[in-house]
Amino acid sequence: MSVITVDALRPALEGVIASIMATCDPNGVPNVSMISQVHYVDPERVALSYQFFNKTRSNLLATRRAAVQVTDPETLAHYRLDLEYEETRTSGALFESMKAKLAGIASHHGMAGVFRLLGSDVFRVTRIRQVPGPVMTPPPRESLLAATRRTFATLDQCQDLEDLFDQVTICLERDFGIRWAIVLVAEGQGGPFYAVASNGYAASGIGAEVGSGEGVIGVAAAVGMPIRIGHMTTEYRYGEAVREAARINGIVGDEPCRIAFPGLAAPRSQIALPIVDDNRVVAVLFAEDDAIMRFGYEEEDALALVAGHLGARMALLRLTEDQEALEKLPDPDPAEGTVRIRYFAVDQSVFLGHDYLIKGVAGAILWRLLREHRDTGRTEFTTRELRLDPALRLPAHAENLDARLILLRKRLEERCACLRIEKAGRGRFRLLTGSRIVLEEAPGSA
Amino acid sequence: MAKPILAPALVALAQSGCGIAIASCGSDGAPVLGLGVACRLRPGGVFRFLVDRCVNAEVIEALASGGPVAVTLTVTRDHTSFQIKASKAHTGPRCNDDLPEVDRQQALFRDGLSELGYSEAQGVGYSVYETANLVAVEFAPEQVFSQTPGPGAGQEITK
Repeated sequence: MSVITVDALRPALEGVIASIMATCDPNGVPNVSMISQVHYVDPERVALSYQFFNKTRSNLLATRRAAVQVTDPETLAHYRLDLEYEETRTSGALFESMKAKLAGIASHHGMAGVFRLLGSDVFRVTRIRQVPGPVMTPPPRESLLAATRRTFATLDQCQDLEDLFDQVTICLERDFGIRWAIVLVAEGQGGPFYAVASNGYAASGIGAEVGSGEGVIGVAAAVGMPIRIGHMTTEYRYGEAVREAARINGIVGDEPCRIAFPGLAAPRSQIALPIVDDNRVVAVLFAEDDAIMRFGYEEEDALALVAGHLGARMALLRLTEDQEALEKLPDPDPAEGTVRIRYFAVDQSVFLGHDYLIKGVAGAILWRLLREHRDTGRTEFTTRELRLDPALRLPAHAENLDARLILLRKRLEERCACLRIEKAGRGRFRLLTGSRIVLEEAPGSA
Repeated sequence: MAKPILAPALVALAQSGCGIAIASCGSDGAPVLGLGVACRLRPGGVFRFLVDRCVNAEVIEALASGGPVAVTLTVTRDHTSFQIKASKAHTGPRCNDDLPEVDRQQALFRDGLSELGYSEAQGVGYSVYETANLVAVEFAPEQVFSQTPGPGAGQEITK
């Protein structure tokens, strides 16, 4: 008989069907209760949520032994696991992941505010037995490995970052059936993160901002690990998270400088996968669905591979785009009409008339290009000169400049027919003005 | 020790097609657990649980060897739970009049799971049992605890 491993049990650890847990005190008196989640840690370990100091907790600390029963929601096979308590973690990736999942489960069962994670109790699995009984054949499913391979092949064909970001969201739908996805890139070390590509939403939301720690995306970025929720809760919804952050910080009046997050109004499943480069989270791949439990452990693994490949392709394309092209560029079309563009140095925000366009580093870049155009008539620029411009105050790790240009280009496409940025070759881009531009710098600006 | 008196609401809960989790202590001191499929209350406050002996061999063996018992009963719809414990339990064969009650409580149990979003197959699959394999586990609770999730879980109910 083959030995069952924790890896093989992962579908049973999704929490679809409630698990039960038993402990004994030092005198052998048992205690048994339903538990909300048994979390996969590694091939030899699982973790249970510690929410209250109760009899179970007291028994665990005294005897360090537990037994749990979990059920595979597709095959309906039951498994009993003998566990040996090792440690309790109160921070870090495992803790945050369990906290997010618990919040989702609590909300789904009307227990929001009752469940609160105090720690992740980590156990070594000493024995696994399958409970005798009928087992159903799981329904056939698409191969996630084949889907991952197809996505990799498409990403490998992308010649620039903009195409790469767009294609990955398209691939998620084509290869994985994931209808809603967003790519966000970090503004600086630790965020915030800005949407640079999306798929499936009525409004693209390009430029929408998510702070570190905000929602599933912000938590995944903060801990550098994938976060997913199968029973979505308002605690991890962006609108609420953003509004709450704004309220706490007294910046509710800042609303005009926010681009609405393009997420689903009522998502039931979400997953966010950090993209790490040189030990820093430089971007986040995000997907969501209106069905519960859409993303399991297998989907998390596959999407983590996609996110990793996306990160590698991003790094490669940034290197190649640094090479400047020497081709001669055609003259832009003659400008018509007048557009007043206002700049506020305090937050580097740019307004077209009275309409907010963009802020932060992307805003500073646009303002720099517009002033240069006004003063010298230049229309063609290089990414290299922006990198070297001290006035832009780019972060020390400025490799996300390309992503900011993509963000800027897409925002202009969506919001302004009078002003465009287009690629003009490797490391080059062109500012196209369809109107006469009048620049106004707000009083007090540098 | 005074025998706890169960409130009528808990007596009704126990026989309403709730989730039944059973535990004991194995000969090596480790916890063992299983699932029951129905609960009946007999005169004198004795709880009678119907359990599949093949599915729950370890816990039945522990109980038959004189091990202590704990059972948590949970309403699937709202997670209202309580736990009963005793220093020993008796195991024995099922009776014919157990079966209609098993059928009735299982139907209620599956209905509760359906309300939570479980499929019909999941509802059926959660409680694995063969009628021919059912045995009875009986004991009079010596302690009763609230087990509804929250800060009050684990509190002993004295009345």
